[in-house]
Amino acid sequence: MNTEIASQTNEQAAPQVKKESFIHKLMSTIGPDNLSLIFALILLVFLITVASAWFGLSGGDRFFSWQNLMNSLAQAIVIVGLLAIGQTVIIIAGALDISVGSIASIGSVVAASVLAGIGTVGSLGIFPKDSALMAVVAGILAGMVAGMINGFIVTYLRVNPTIATLGTLAAFAGIAFLLAPEGKPIGVVTQPDFTYLAQGRFLTDLPLPAMGGAKWTGIPILTVILVIVAIFVHVIMRYTDFGRAIYAIGGNAVAARLAGINLTRIRVMMYMLSGGIAGLAGVLLAARTTSGNPVNGNGLELQAITAVFLGGAATSGGKGTVFGTFLAVILVGVLNNGMNLLGFNTFTQRVALGLLLIVAVAISQWRQARAERARSRA
Amino acid sequence: MTMTDIAPSISNIPDPQELEGKPGTLEIRNVSKAFPNVQALNNVSLDIRPGEILAFMGENGAGKSTLLKIINGDYQPDSGTLSMDGETLEFSNPLAAHKAGIRVIYQEPEIIPGVGVAENIYVGELPRRLGIVQRRKLNEQVKRSLIEYGFDKVLPMDLMGDQLSSAQRQIVEIMRTLKSGVRVLALDEPTSSLSDEEVDRLFTLIRRLRDEGVAIIYVSHRIKEILQLCDRVAILRDGNLIAVKPAKDLNDAEIVRLMVGRELKDIFSRKPAGSDNEVLRVENLNSNWHNQIDFKINAGEVVGFAGLVGAGRTELAKVIFGDLPINSGKIILDGQEVKIRRPDEAIAKGIGFATEDRKREGLVLIRSVLENASIAILSRISRFHFVSSRLERLAISGFIDKLQVRTPSLNQPVGKLSGGNQQKVVLARWLAAKPKVLILDEPTRGIDVGAKAEIYRLIDELANEGLGIMLISSELPEILGLSDRIYVMQNGQITGELDGATATEEEILGLAMVDQLTTSSTENSTVSQERN
Repeated sequence: MNTEIASQTNEQAAPQVKKESFIHKLMSTIGPDNLSLIFALILLVFLITVASAWFGLSGGDRFFSWQNLMNSLAQAIVIVGLLAIGQTVIIIAGALDISVGSIASIGSVVAASVLAGIGTVGSLGIFPKDSALMAVVAGILAGMVAGMINGFIVTYLRVNPTIATLGTLAAFAGIAFLLAPEGKPIGVVTQPDFTYLAQGRFLTDLPLPAMGGAKWTGIPILTVILVIVAIFVHVIMRYTDFGRAIYAIGGNAVAARLAGINLTRIRVMMYMLSGGIAGLAGVLLAARTTSGNPVNGNGLELQAITAVFLGGAATSGGKGTVFGTFLAVILVGVLNNGMNLLGFNTFTQRVALGLLLIVAVAISQWRQARAERARSRA
Repeated sequence: MTMTDIAPSISNIPDPQELEGKPGTLEIRNVSKAFPNVQALNNVSLDIRPGEILAFMGENGAGKSTLLKIINGDYQPDSGTLSMDGETLEFSNPLAAHKAGIRVIYQEPEIIPGVGVAENIYVGELPRRLGIVQRRKLNEQVKRSLIEYGFDKVLPMDLMGDQLSSAQRQIVEIMRTLKSGVRVLALDEPTSSLSDEEVDRLFTLIRRLRDEGVAIIYVSHRIKEILQLCDRVAILRDGNLIAVKPAKDLNDAEIVRLMVGRELKDIFSRKPAGSDNEVLRVENLNSNWHNQIDFKINAGEVVGFAGLVGAGRTELAKVIFGDLPINSGKIILDGQEVKIRRPDEAIAKGIGFATEDRKREGLVLIRSVLENASIAILSRISRFHFVSSRLERLAISGFIDKLQVRTPSLNQPVGKLSGGNQQKVVLARWLAAKPKVLILDEPTRGIDVGAKAEIYRLIDELANEGLGIMLISSELPEILGLSDRIYVMQNGQITGELDGATATEEEILGLAMVDQLTTSSTENSTVSQERN
């Protein structure tokens, strides 16, 4: 962010900025944290595709095929990716939202409920039946309401964010069941516009050669949505007063308040943003599974939080980027995907994911400590 | 350097030679200690004698705490020595000082919340047999010593650490020191949170320890207590030892005179430009910290708020700024009564507040100079919530230049700048916000002399441009040199209003320190009644 602003200004008003080479500029735009993520990603791909063969593992050669990249990998990262992007905002502000998995469940049930015209929300008749657009809107709104509740609990009731959303994790999971008719999944949802969200393809006609024995079939709409949301949140965090406030609160909430940031309003808004994105993730889950299932979002929050910390956000707040989270989501996706290809079972994958998070945070803590030592010497 | 060189105006410091000899005397010789930008102690020589209570007095920043910390092994002197019985003492940490029988009791003793009084007293030295704590023996020991020192009623043994009052915590800390054979005991403002009865008990204990041959250092701002309790008084000023006198030769006025005795430096060049145009009036303000506060600030006026640390000045700023709750009273800004519930409302109505603690309350250290400077005007530099980097630079860079903030770029994390430059970033923020009233809380704390002078010049300039400035400072020369009018606060109340041109440090300290209800020896009490 900083380098971009610098390049836009006239040099007279600003104190002298040193001329930097293109490579240097690019590197500092990406940031050292993101650079190490990119290296980790390249290393991981190398391990999967080349090094695995040295250890007698087979399957790594299937990584680079359109089938694997566009169907398995690109779709697998979408839901966790969305939740992680919302979570990034919260974690930069120095808080946490554990309830996003349950909010996704609510979004999933509400969307299916509106589409089918049954269940608590569907039978209200506010949203017209059989409209995919209305289903999406209802799912997002439900998520925003849930986020607003989180925000009120954290601000007005002054409950620690971790505890508050741990509570609403359970409560929202229950509400997802209560919203479904008799607590049962709503499905099978076959409205074509709605299932297009999960099954549709974008840019199917791109003249790309076949790769790994599979033809180019386009980018999944799911992935397109993930990228759009990522860009949307990225822009908010980087260019708006809201984004400035989030970074300031995470960096030093007391100073931010005394400089005129309305902490309550910003915190409620950020939980609404995270909730709305989680609601959208739930809608997409419903589209992919063709059912509004109250357990759709279970357990997703841990993967989302993992990705944010892996992406370079600081546990203490004030630091982190949407881009970093996005890279981390891809990294986790590639890890899971590669281990699938190489024939590791899901239990091993979970162990690997857990270790990855701990290693990533340990490295970040070590770097922070080193930076602080350097500062105290200065 | 001889002693007379350090304190040319006062020559009654006893010749070190005549003090030597008494066993158990802690001899401090030529101790100096510097921190970046400040000489905290300058060639201090002093004897702390067994069987005597010696008071340390001085203004905030005079060097009392630094001296205590050197005695306690928290700091090591840059030069000079400590010795006892002819043996040089070098403490690399407080534990080493403890071993030599030196204990310093700070205002907030370390207490372990989850365990009882006895365990807290014997922490680290619990009586054990075969690795098991002998609880009965422990309780008996503690009970016996509590009765012996008369604290058995005040400090019930069944209380847990977190249930103890401040006074009880002090007693626990004192009991800790007693059981391990203390030779030099220092108490740092021990009575600040005690009731009268508790103070009496504490004094009884201190006198008893003195009579048993312990050397006692007593640090306090309360002149009355000092005169009542102490045998000798050592007065520090700007890191120099100014005088050591028997308490019986001193009185309130004399102590205050010795503590101050400073000439104003010519770095202040305030030309009063106050108008009659009132920008801020506070009427009958009451809060959890304050009682009946009335004051006003005119446009173009620098109004100093003097007082000791803890007098309620910072809290007053925060109440006005909407950061702490107000219980009753009126705040009138530009002739209109305003209700301010949050800092953002205060800023919107034209109040700026540069906090005393830059790092904790002022700046987001990991964010850039630019972001820190523009944070208070985000809505003004945003269009449809998008921060315009053009408007942002336009609003900020002028002030960054004017204040001569030394930073490689506006994108530098503000935490990497020096203290003085950080403070200038805070000032740039508030100048950009274009307030009517600017509250400056200790604006020059922890910054070097050069930057100080620049900030003084700036304050003068801002006032001349019509800003009303509320200047909170614990440095009296700063208050006297800059203020057009001065309010003095003590214990949550305004005890007097003085004219900036004629006020003296003695007057201010009198109003700030001397208990207004009990002292009638000086003209101070009449001044306090003259306000408004």
